[in-house]
Amino acid sequence: MSSNIYIVDDDESVCRALKTLLMTYDFDVHTFNSAQSFFENVHPDECGCLLLDIHMPGMDGWETHKKILETGSKRPVIFISAEKKDDAAKRAFKVGALGFLQKPVNGQTLVDLINKATNS
Amino acid sequence: MKNIAIVVNNKKPKKPLIKLETRNNLEKKIRQQSDELESKSTQLKQGIDREKLSTDREKIAEERIHIQSKAMESTLDGIFIVDAQKSGFPVIYANPSFFNLTGYSKSEVLGKSYFSLYGVDVNLRIFEEIKEILQEGKSFHGEVLNLKRNGEKFWSLLRIAPVRDNKGLITHYVGIKTDTTLIKQRDSEIQEQREELLHVTRVGKLAEFVSSLAHEISQPLTAILSYAQAAQRMFKDREPQLQEILQYIINDDQRATEVIRRLRTLLKKTKPTFEPLNINTIINDTVTLIMPQITSKNISINLKLDNDLPLIHGDRIQLQQVLLNLISNSIEAMDESPDPRELLIKAFLKEANTIMVKVRDSGVGIPPENMKKLFGHFFTSKPDGLGMGLSISRSIVEAHGGHLEAENNIDRGATFNFSLPIGIKETV
Repeated sequence: MSSNIYIVDDDESVCRALKTLLMTYDFDVHTFNSAQSFFENVHPDECGCLLLDIHMPGMDGWETHKKILETGSKRPVIFISAEKKDDAAKRAFKVGALGFLQKPVNGQTLVDLINKATNS
Repeated sequence: MKNIAIVVNNKKPKKPLIKLETRNNLEKKIRQQSDELESKSTQLKQGIDREKLSTDREKIAEERIHIQSKAMESTLDGIFIVDAQKSGFPVIYANPSFFNLTGYSKSEVLGKSYFSLYGVDVNLRIFEEIKEILQEGKSFHGEVLNLKRNGEKFWSLLRIAPVRDNKGLITHYVGIKTDTTLIKQRDSEIQEQREELLHVTRVGKLAEFVSSLAHEISQPLTAILSYAQAAQRMFKDREPQLQEILQYIINDDQRATEVIRRLRTLLKKTKPTFEPLNINTIINDTVTLIMPQITSKNISINLKLDNDLPLIHGDRIQLQQVLLNLISNSIEAMDESPDPRELLIKAFLKEANTIMVKVRDSGVGIPPENMKKLFGHFFTSKPDGLGMGLSISRSIVEAHGGHLEAENNIDRGATFNFSLPIGIKETV
């Protein structure tokens, strides 16, 4: 059975491209353009790694992650961002995320990180 | 007068046999004499008054001269008088402040040509100019750089005016010298601060611009890379020519990414220096910097800064940048608005641990449809604006742990207000 990957990014093109890439690794990919739409459609108990954009209108990545933690969900989260923030990686680890990847994301690096998450 | 009248009366009874005509003649004579006497007495009296008057006048004049010379001795301006009729314009008088100002002693100044003093090596052209003006009998008014006796440079405001005698002939020149070194220094300090702030603002704008641009470009680069890598995997071990093309796409995507990375490093924002600051000082300093614009646009500015506000913890230049941005926006918003153009800046304690700063204008206000986009990157309502000012301002205020917001006033214009926590350390 292929594992679930959720992508939350306000940039539709990025969602589509990452989905296309991850599908070649046989993941079951679901994309959402906002955190709200993700919460509405995905139950906290449903398994799957989340690729979470940081810079989004409305609820940003950090807030989204906080809300996920508040629901008691153990979902592994990987932050991705086009913005260069030196302390973003540090902050990602601090809040208990799996990691932080700077856009543009290299496919293999991303998949390695996802596999690390789903295997552990 | 009375005595004379008695004499006349006494004479009458002694000569009672005088003929009528003779008597009439006599009366006429007496009257003439009496008139003469009267006029002489008046003249005499007037003479005495005049004499008294002239001594009074002398006294007043003396007092006046005394006060005037005291005033000349006491003033901080250097005053000097030169003889206009002798060649070389020798100095015949100089007050103590003149000696203080120039460092020369009395004997080094009096009798010497005015131009031989402190003109040496400094701006000789200006002294030639002064000489020419004086020779034409005109006045001079200007700022000159002088040398003191010890060689120290000083700026002074020099005014020289001709003194004429009753016939209109120029006999002397009187000069006043005011030391403007301190004013000059203050001016150049203000100028330096303004330059520094403008530079930081420009660099900040550019950095923010590049950062936004990098973000916008990174998104499609992410998509392109992902698509290309997906295609490579889809055609794995097949279509070698397609594989090659896909690899070129990936390489160039990475090249573009590298360019952006280098640009970002180049324009890395300088780390803010946080220190305890008095917000009123920052407001006053910023207003001083932008005062020329305020006055030139006929705007009346009102500062309502509460006393004894607690210190905040922040970066001086960055906060000045925020204020400068808000004030400049307000000034521009009032460009088209009718008088009175009013700018109000307030600083007060909102809650126990929050200081509020308000910048209120009487300008055109913010159209409701722009309200939401106001703080976004690249949003501008100005024809030559970059759309960075308010977004930078907001990120600065937020980095200080505060909030920046805008609202329209009920009557006209808009108010921007930002909060700053008291004494809180760097939050990011």
